[in-house]
Amino acid sequence: MRVTPYPVTAYGLACGLGRNTTEVLEKLRRGERGLTPVPLEVPFVTVTGTIPGALPELDERIREHDSRLARVTQLGFESIAVELARAVSQWGPSRVACVLGTSTGGIWSTELAHAAHHHDGSLPAGFDYRQQHPFHITSDICRKLGGFTGPAYIVSTACSSSGKVFASARRLLDAGLADAVLVGGADALCHTTVRGFFSLGVMAEGPCMPFSADRPGMNIGEGAAFALVERRGTPRAMLLGVGESSDAYHPSSPHPEGRGALDAMNHALSQAGLSATDIDYVNAHGTGTKHNDSAESQAVETLLGREVPVVSTKGYTGHTLGACGAVEAIFAIVSIEEGFVPASVGSTPRDPEIPIHIPSERLEFQPRYVLSNSFAFGGNNCSLLLGRPA
Amino acid sequence: MNPVHVLGRGFFTPSFPNLSAFRMGVPKSDAERPAVDFVPSRNKRGCSMLTLAAVEAAHQACDEAGISAATPALVFGSCHGEMEIAVAQMEMFQEDKGLLSPARFKNSVHNTGAGMFSIAMDNRGYATAIAGGHDTVALALLEAILLLQHDRYETAVVALADERLPSPLTHFSPHEALGVAVVLSRGPHPERSSLGALTLPQRRSEALFAADTRFSGNPVAPLLDVIDALESGGGGTIPLSLPGGDPWYCEVQSAAEARAQG
Repeated sequence: MRVTPYPVTAYGLACGLGRNTTEVLEKLRRGERGLTPVPLEVPFVTVTGTIPGALPELDERIREHDSRLARVTQLGFESIAVELARAVSQWGPSRVACVLGTSTGGIWSTELAHAAHHHDGSLPAGFDYRQQHPFHITSDICRKLGGFTGPAYIVSTACSSSGKVFASARRLLDAGLADAVLVGGADALCHTTVRGFFSLGVMAEGPCMPFSADRPGMNIGEGAAFALVERRGTPRAMLLGVGESSDAYHPSSPHPEGRGALDAMNHALSQAGLSATDIDYVNAHGTGTKHNDSAESQAVETLLGREVPVVSTKGYTGHTLGACGAVEAIFAIVSIEEGFVPASVGSTPRDPEIPIHIPSERLEFQPRYVLSNSFAFGGNNCSLLLGRPA
Repeated sequence: MNPVHVLGRGFFTPSFPNLSAFRMGVPKSDAERPAVDFVPSRNKRGCSMLTLAAVEAAHQACDEAGISAATPALVFGSCHGEMEIAVAQMEMFQEDKGLLSPARFKNSVHNTGAGMFSIAMDNRGYATAIAGGHDTVALALLEAILLLQHDRYETAVVALADERLPSPLTHFSPHEALGVAVVLSRGPHPERSSLGALTLPQRRSEALFAADTRFSGNPVAPLLDVIDALESGGGGTIPLSLPGGDPWYCEVQSAAEARAQG
């Protein structure tokens, strides 16, 4: 089923590489990692993609939602605020919608409150679970800061969340329920995910090395990334398709041959009316774990062969979980706009069982069509297809 | 846009394992947790009541609809999500080395129910998990209906659940656990009878909210109001949001009205 393409007219983000779009992209262009020692007290060693510097005080309109996630969200939001204001003015507040991804919401606040309760038997004054923790607070924050009133909701499918929001946006536009949709994702560091992935035995002590023979596992990151998908406008890139599928295999491990990943990429191609030979570049999910990288590379090889460059940018940012779909969609758009493909940092020595093209150096060419993959617990898969504007 | 048809319903709350038990009002002492017999034990280990309630309701709805659960789009949803596991993990931070149980952690994500159902039913298609605060019912229905009307799916399961928050957070949301589900079809199904039809959720300017009294404000209870309206045969305007949300509503048509409209 072919779908209507829509322009992605703006983007903005904050993550371990920097506090705003300019800082993030400077480091991506230079090939610098944004991974530093984990700032949480945890009983093991690891590095994380932590947003550098102190997080900002919250705008008074959202102060009741204070949490690390709220601060990360506000920081990322600042990089798209001007373009969002233009869209709200152009289309009207009720015609701007918002679909965002997050995997843990404002859980950090509840972690702190729970620890306080454990020590002295009461929740801290000022803690309000209803305003600080639930997933939908993220979209509430964006509505309050952005002054729009269209439908606003959260997709929370763990690490595919903020890829899938692009598909929800496309359907809202198709249905005429909005003329502009703010999409994106936000997740902040917290004990739950840092300790949780360690408990699964997939956390690296040092920087991750996606697709390398020596890959030691993943790093957690944090970030907030936003894009505007509009009915019409000046495109930075075109949203051509979003493939969505399920592995139907295992709660936390991918299908070993990447069956669902392949379905998602094929679905995206079908929506765009393109064939596999049209794809110039893949931004891989590429977490750096043994199983994920192996399964994804098999799916990519089956679909695209061994020549198309495949890059994991998680070596720069860590795995930003509910934000990674949007972070990496933006990186894919930057490749289309600026004519370079970043190096897949940490990918050497190459894993001989991964025979696809993983560039260990930056490539200078302008991809026309890019797939950006995001896969998640529950066997949930999403593949975005973004293209150069005509 | 044309209304979508409802082909099946599912329900679970502790002691009332399905809609008929709930309607009869006779509690079953062996139904404190959903059985979910169709999911292998290894895949249920460490999962929450919330997940089981949603998965059980989804299965019942597909059963009543008489469709294969391998084909519909899966739209799961919850306002609070897996808080039982989240707080259990926070307890673990305080114990021994402060590490987590892998079985609990893998079941802590919001889409645990959608994943469990897709694996059990070998459904390789679309699956999502929505959160929309007090508008969760409306926004999950919106997502599902847009999938039917603007994507490749003929049927969709909407399975929603929320449970009482665990201590020390219980006072923030003390409602009873509830899982409720419907199977929606893009149009009249060629082989299955329709229980009625729903319009795309919309918002109104005046505040019109669901007044859930049976589940003390469980955010997913308005989907049960939709089912009630279908069963009553009367249809009408059904508020989908609890106070504090946007005033979303949908129009429900009885089976006879839906048939007349085709």
